[in-house]
Amino acid sequence: MASGKAPPEHFSILYFAAASTFTTKTAEYLPAPLDACLLFPVLEERYPGITAKVLSSCAVTVNLEYVDMDEDRVGEVVIKAGDEVAIIPPVSSG
Amino acid sequence: MTTSEPASYTASIPDAPITKTTETIHIELTPHTLSAQSATQFVRSPSAGATVLFIGTTRDSFNNLPVSSLSYTSYTPLAMSTLHSIAASMLKKHDLTKIAIVHKLGECPIGEESIVIAVSAPHRQAAWRAGEETLEETKKRAEIWKLERFEGGEGVWRANRDGAVGVKVEGT
Repeated sequence: MASGKAPPEHFSILYFAAASTFTTKTAEYLPAPLDACLLFPVLEERYPGITAKVLSSCAVTVNLEYVDMDEDRVGEVVIKAGDEVAIIPPVSSG
Repeated sequence: MTTSEPASYTASIPDAPITKTTETIHIELTPHTLSAQSATQFVRSPSAGATVLFIGTTRDSFNNLPVSSLSYTSYTPLAMSTLHSIAASMLKKHDLTKIAIVHKLGECPIGEESIVIAVSAPHRQAAWRAGEETLEETKKRAEIWKLERFEGGEGVWRANRDGAVGVKVEGT
């Protein structure tokens, strides 16, 4: 997992469970700023097929808060440099 | 949704327990063996007439497929905050005296404890209900993921909400 701060003009993104399997990473840095609504398209470009197989059932957090990823919310949440974003697949504790 | 996982996968697991403890709430994510006794001791109180303890252990099969090993990974800061918020709401809703939620991270041998929940309340009805509801809320919400490895096969990320063996997904 990437530790510490993202380089300038980047945010960190954490991948858990199925998301880390698909990307073969637990974390990386991506360029900021980025409208949260564009996150899935950006990831789809880097990891073709990830939207249908993984992201469609995932939630997203920015700095430990869940964000709404509806397409009609463009401009509402902007991921800034230094933010910590996480892809949260369906959970399975217990 | 579940995906397949190569046998080489190793999750990032903390070396030491991560805990958050107040007078009435104890939350812990730990790579160590869980102690039902210490969770029970935490919730004991002279003002509580009832203590309910739930111990979840890992099964050796899923849909009759033999499971050879299990491991848990977590987004620990978020899971700690989610578990604390579950505990605080259970405490209030059921008028509990104390509550403890402890979950295993990393490899969990078959048959060993993966989760321990202890609650105490003045009376038994509230304790029973709160124990069950705490477990259900935890399974629904805590940002913890279980990787099951089947004998002779790869691993599968389990999802509590569908409970089925998912399609295999190859990494790019």
